[in-house]
Amino acid sequence: MIVKDVVCPFCGCLCDDVEVTVEDDRVVAVDNACTLGTSKFLGDHRLPGPIRRDGNGWKDISYDEAIRYAVDMLLDAERPLLYGWSSTHGEAQCVGVHMAELVRGVIDNTTSVCHGPSILAIQEVGHPGCTLGVVKNRADLIIYWGCNPIDAHPRHLSRYTRYADGFFLENAFRDRTVIVVDVRKTETANIADEFVQIRPGGDYAVLSALRAIVRGKTDTIPRSVSGVPREQLLRIARRCKEAKFGAFYFGQGITMTRGKYKNVRNAIELVDELNRHTKFTISAMRGHYNVYGSNEVNTWMTGYPFGIDFARGIAFYNPGETTAIDVLARRECDACLIVASDPAAHFPRPCVEHLAEIPVVQIDPYANATTAFCNVQIPVAVTGIDAAGTAYRMDGVPLRIRKVIESGYPSDEEILSRMYAMIQEVRSE
Amino acid sequence: MSELLIRNACVIDPINGIDGETMDIAIRDGRIVEDVNDSTAEVVDAGGALTLPGGIDSHTHICGTKVNFGRYMSPEDMRAGRTPRMGRMHATSGYSVPTTYGTSYRYSAMGYTTLLEGAMAPLEARHTHEEFLYTPLQDTLANTLFDGNWAVMEAVRDGDTKRVAAIIGWTLSAVKGFAVKLTNPGGTEAWGWGKNVSCIRDPVPYFEVTPAEMIQTIVRANELLHLPHSVHLHCNNLGTPGNYSCTIGSLGLIPDLNDRRQTLYATHVQFHAYGGSGWDDFCSRSEPIARFVNMRPQIVIDMGQVMFGKTTTMTADGPMEFNLYRLHHNKWSNHDVELETASGIIPVLYRRKNLVNSVMWAIGLELALLTENPWQCLLTTDNPNGAPFVRYPEIIGLLMSKRYRDAEFATVHPETGHRVPLPAIEREMDWHEIAVMTRSGQAKALGVLEIGKGHLGVGAEADVAIYPIRIDEVDPSVEYQKVVDAFRCTDYTIKRGRIVSRRGECLVDGNNTTVWVRPKISDSYDMVRDEEFVRKFDRYYTVRMSNYPVQEEYLRRNLWRRNLCIETEAEL
Amino acid sequence: MKFLMITGRTVNQGAYVERKLSAQYADETSTCFMHQFDMMDLGITDRERVQVTGPCGTVVLVIAASEDVNPGTVFVPYGPYANHIIGGHTHSTGMPDFKSIEVEIEATTEQRKGVYELMEELGGVAYDR
Repeated sequence: MIVKDVVCPFCGCLCDDVEVTVEDDRVVAVDNACTLGTSKFLGDHRLPGPIRRDGNGWKDISYDEAIRYAVDMLLDAERPLLYGWSSTHGEAQCVGVHMAELVRGVIDNTTSVCHGPSILAIQEVGHPGCTLGVVKNRADLIIYWGCNPIDAHPRHLSRYTRYADGFFLENAFRDRTVIVVDVRKTETANIADEFVQIRPGGDYAVLSALRAIVRGKTDTIPRSVSGVPREQLLRIARRCKEAKFGAFYFGQGITMTRGKYKNVRNAIELVDELNRHTKFTISAMRGHYNVYGSNEVNTWMTGYPFGIDFARGIAFYNPGETTAIDVLARRECDACLIVASDPAAHFPRPCVEHLAEIPVVQIDPYANATTAFCNVQIPVAVTGIDAAGTAYRMDGVPLRIRKVIESGYPSDEEILSRMYAMIQEVRSE
Repeated sequence: MSELLIRNACVIDPINGIDGETMDIAIRDGRIVEDVNDSTAEVVDAGGALTLPGGIDSHTHICGTKVNFGRYMSPEDMRAGRTPRMGRMHATSGYSVPTTYGTSYRYSAMGYTTLLEGAMAPLEARHTHEEFLYTPLQDTLANTLFDGNWAVMEAVRDGDTKRVAAIIGWTLSAVKGFAVKLTNPGGTEAWGWGKNVSCIRDPVPYFEVTPAEMIQTIVRANELLHLPHSVHLHCNNLGTPGNYSCTIGSLGLIPDLNDRRQTLYATHVQFHAYGGSGWDDFCSRSEPIARFVNMRPQIVIDMGQVMFGKTTTMTADGPMEFNLYRLHHNKWSNHDVELETASGIIPVLYRRKNLVNSVMWAIGLELALLTENPWQCLLTTDNPNGAPFVRYPEIIGLLMSKRYRDAEFATVHPETGHRVPLPAIEREMDWHEIAVMTRSGQAKALGVLEIGKGHLGVGAEADVAIYPIRIDEVDPSVEYQKVVDAFRCTDYTIKRGRIVSRRGECLVDGNNTTVWVRPKISDSYDMVRDEEFVRKFDRYYTVRMSNYPVQEEYLRRNLWRRNLCIETEAEL
Repeated sequence: MKFLMITGRTVNQGAYVERKLSAQYADETSTCFMHQFDMMDLGITDRERVQVTGPCGTVVLVIAASEDVNPGTVFVPYGPYANHIIGGHTHSTGMPDFKSIEVEIEATTEQRKGVYELMEELGGVAYDR
């Protein structure tokens, strides 16, 4: 059986034109998806059932035992951390927020180690953006800054920018200019009309120079700024102002490097400035397929997109204090529930060292690096393959992710709802 | 079977002609009935307190992409309204844009049981419906945006009203919307190029239709679909000095096409009632607008009252927000939605010491006081644009008391008196008029009387608000503070026969209803079968047509949640 | 020699991100992309191993020659190897320094470890069934 218009649960592009061939409740072929999506759809080697650490080995346990362990761990904790959430459906994220509120924990998602700084910048200066289709249909200038879509969002170029059809562009490929700005010559740089190579850590200075030029203060620009020649800066600024519609996409090249959210703020303010001359938008290239959804869910339920601390009953937000890296690096949390993420692979060493010292339960379909630190791991269905639910695309467009096979695994929402109900019995009233 | 009996209620129920009569209200299984078994029913003694149908907000921004972005970008606003988890109540955050629970609890404390989200982009409808699920104590409905819809504009250009109706009908059913919203029609498409339309005769770039043509055609299409509500219009040119003539021009386009309700609902008219040629001679033009409305029963407006203090502005009117940004230089967000609409957000502070803000404050009140028939001017702040909804009780107080208005007027910018007629207006509204302006008028304008909203007659949904005030003992003209206090917090808010809020404490998790429409359209006008529509959809949207409609899952996440589809017989 | 280390996503790292225990994931995330000139200075050739020391520790990576990185800079795909030497300080932003990290690199004959060996070094227990 071929299932059409399947939504891909890999990256924030959330491509919804994938065709999946299913035989005997197994995915056997995938069309239209990129390498990343295809490998996820075809992935096997799931963890067969819940496991519990037993000295230096592992033993199989039942779902009931595993859930009981997780509930007891959270009930016993003084300062639990509930982390992950970006690779699961919104319905599960909602249960997670209720649970965090009830156990007075810290709840954080992978945003804090990807576009957390972008959100801090948006909270300072706002965010002039648009949906991806607006760019597809209108934009004659695309800037990719500190991001490498060919590797991280492979179909971004074909669905929305370089190779996409556009209503207002006669020959979209020829009529669109693509500029790539990065510290290294990435694959994406190879298909750009213009590549701007800046020295590592130089983003802030280059953005400031562009802002000055757009404001007409050309005289103050030195011969080169962070490795970028003045002539090139002038040319880029001119191209931006002359564009009918410009779209600026940025990635972790500017959020993770020196300056962090100040880099993003500078980029947003450049776009604000350009809107006085033409139409310009800016957007973050969100990584996990539903990381934006976890920001949305957290925001409507708590007021904040990530890093929320319920220790005092209210929702308290202070990134740098209430974010996962900091809570772990300070060795503050005394239990950790991890859902749909792999912090042991993605967090700096001191954080992982603390995970080794506290009880950890992970809800995830696969054994991964974090498994090594788990007391219990509970395997679940993969959203988009054997579970359905809601995800938010990188531009905020929500889609319903389909279930294409029946696997028998419970969904994240089912496991979390059972846990929440058990915690409620003890903690409510 | 559950039964509830409210005793000694001092009822004002304008739809049923009840004006301050002390009586009992019997409720069975969520509806009002003739009587219940006195010995077994749960009894609430209202003690002669003012009892009204549950409040209805016919234009508020509470759920969806733009609202949530208002929260997301504003931790300072979130910090300004925090409550901890307590009893059945979840933690809440936010002052001008509260979290969904915050919105629901605070509206419920004020006796509101039905809310219409003012602007939902069809492409992002799923988001609005998700947030509706977490707004547990009110029934919810969504205005659906068509102001920059490419297929609609093309059909308008071709003069094909039936095709316009067909596209709107398909879209509303697909996204589970309730009514047609036009926000700065044509302007949101022009904003795709950083431009705007200046008024109703200014053509939209590329599409070559004018806002006037769009408004006129869509109003007729709305009636072909026999939708419960009329077209809901946010006029072009919001917020600019001298825009009142554009507003009157827009209202003048509207024939009287419906004998059960208005043909056009013009929203937050305060923002569209400005005179002058610039900020220097900015002044009120509430009088010509109110006069115009007084002569045309086919028009209903809402106030869009401004109250002083901090708030967040958010609207689909993207170009207007950019202009506001250039005035305020505060943070600015924008979000254009492909083939459909736009939006923008900026935080603002309305100051008494600012002349323009003072004039704005006066205009909203003037519109209410100068519109003779309260059924034609409803109480809103365009929450949170003019002020957060928690300011409604003060507005009620101001409308009921000349003395309160004068006291406030003494504190605004001293030049205001030369710019506005407010000080000369003597009218003080009575309890009945306030009931009309906060629930019954909304129910009639939205066309939801038929489903039992906005009144307390037998068969109505048992949504009831009991306010801690005795209208025979209080003179609102003098004791306006008592009025304000009473409307801030009910003794009881009852939703479909269950007590959901008691003196501000919410008691249940709630089981709200999403109300939406499905016009029945013949196959020949079914857009899914229209090759050109399907081809363009798949080519220019970034979402496949099969993934666009909002699935039923978003209306009934749990078993006890109800969704109410109003089916209409379209003339197509 | 001192270098600036940059980490980032690659298509292979992404394709194996749900298969962290695979050899391909380990190979990809333990690769250190370096400019030829720097390799000459270090006296190493393609696929040889280096010891990289960062703010929080030391890890063995495998060199891959690349013209896409500037001399003085190395690129390592985002994953457990790079993170093995990165610190947890976030300058009150919640975000650690994942890019532009000063590291010391020298040739080594030590073996590159597996993902679980790294995890065990930090106190974890391998799940290898």
